[in-house]
Amino acid sequence: MSRIGTIYTYSIVHSGTDNFKDKTPYVVALVEENQQIRLAQVEGYTQDLQVEIGMKVEYLAADERNNRIYRFM
Amino acid sequence: MRSVSVIGIGETRIGRFPDRSLRDLIQEAGEKAIADAGIGKEDVKALFMSNFNSQFLCGQGHIGPLASEILGLGSIPAIRVEGACASGSLAFRQALIAVASGMYDVVLVGGVEKMTHQSTEIVTAGIASASDFELEASLGATFPAIFAMIANRYFHEYGNVRNEMAMCAVQNHENALLNPDAQLHKRITIDLVKNAMSIASPLTIYDCSLVSDGAAFVVLAATDLAKSFSRKRIVEVVGCGQAGDTLTIASKRSLTTFDATVNAASQAYVMAGITPSQIDLAEVHDCFTITQIINTEDLGFFAKGKGAFALAEGKTAANGQIPINVSGGLKAKGHPIGATGLSQIYEVVTQLRGEGGMRQLKQADIGLTHNIGGTAATCVVSIFRGR
Repeated sequence: MSRIGTIYTYSIVHSGTDNFKDKTPYVVALVEENQQIRLAQVEGYTQDLQVEIGMKVEYLAADERNNRIYRFM
Repeated sequence: MRSVSVIGIGETRIGRFPDRSLRDLIQEAGEKAIADAGIGKEDVKALFMSNFNSQFLCGQGHIGPLASEILGLGSIPAIRVEGACASGSLAFRQALIAVASGMYDVVLVGGVEKMTHQSTEIVTAGIASASDFELEASLGATFPAIFAMIANRYFHEYGNVRNEMAMCAVQNHENALLNPDAQLHKRITIDLVKNAMSIASPLTIYDCSLVSDGAAFVVLAATDLAKSFSRKRIVEVVGCGQAGDTLTIASKRSLTTFDATVNAASQAYVMAGITPSQIDLAEVHDCFTITQIINTEDLGFFAKGKGAFALAEGKTAANGQIPINVSGGLKAKGHPIGATGLSQIYEVVTQLRGEGGMRQLKQADIGLTHNIGGTAATCVVSIFRGR
């Protein structure tokens, strides 16, 4: 069973710190899953993707700090 | 508690001064404030210094004794205060409490930041340290990204105000044209703002406040002693509130109302015994254009969801119902983080004294400053009345 979250709000980031300079543009979002909102990365953004509040995203993994990573479906 | 007044103000120009040292900025602004107050250095009994991030950006901590040495204040207590972008008004509030309590009669409050000698990436990382490093910065959530998420949520709840956000930038730039201390003297257009380089959608570079160098100082004295020093209009601090909120964006009760602002403002209005409609001018924390719009609602100037339209109708312009950021704000006067809260107070005191020159407002007896730190996790609201 895949875990699905819902985008509560988001931004497409074009200007990052040194650690993220090579990853732009990337999406950070508040994702709601089981009535809990967490800040997360959403992988798989491309310029033709219309990101919207309410969009469903699929849980991918947790990073080394146990932050959540989702991906666009 | 006894009444406390501002008797002296001083600031450097705000701008890009990569060759000026912290020492140099502190000296200019501090000496100006002391001279403006008409006091001697021996009258200053304590120093409260605001600085956000010079340890990271300049390799310099221990700003308290650094400033007291530069200004020749001897062995008085010197204290550094830090609360991200609200550092300046936090230091101001600590100084206010110190004089109000009767502990000291005259104190100096200063703020300084030096940022423009570093690359955009380093500055962005430095500012991101005011969020939660583990839960936010490490995920690539920069401050523009955090406030961009707030903007997108605001659009969802109240309608798309992208145009009005651009108008906010245009208005603050317009105001800064008349402020000789402002970093930018550049007229901009709505189209320029909307079509500029995207930082974090929907925010472009013109929705963001500036990276700046600068310093600002204020002298506070017990009101009953103020006249013995100063020949200028005495500006009494009639209200001051401080409130906090969760550090992280994900744990906020709301993204479109900042509870810290609502609570700090409520304290300040009650202490001053006034209502928002009595305020003649306000300097509010426009770290991003969406922030200014939300703040003018949270401060009680406009109903929730109506701040953007009020701005578009000209109600916050210099000749409007409640002039907001006549200095140019963080957006165009600049945002030297540790100095910002004091730079806001500098503007309000200047206006209440009638010393605003080309940008002087006709009606300026009661002014308000609003300063937030991080994702509105720290907020100080202060209210000033000319006597």
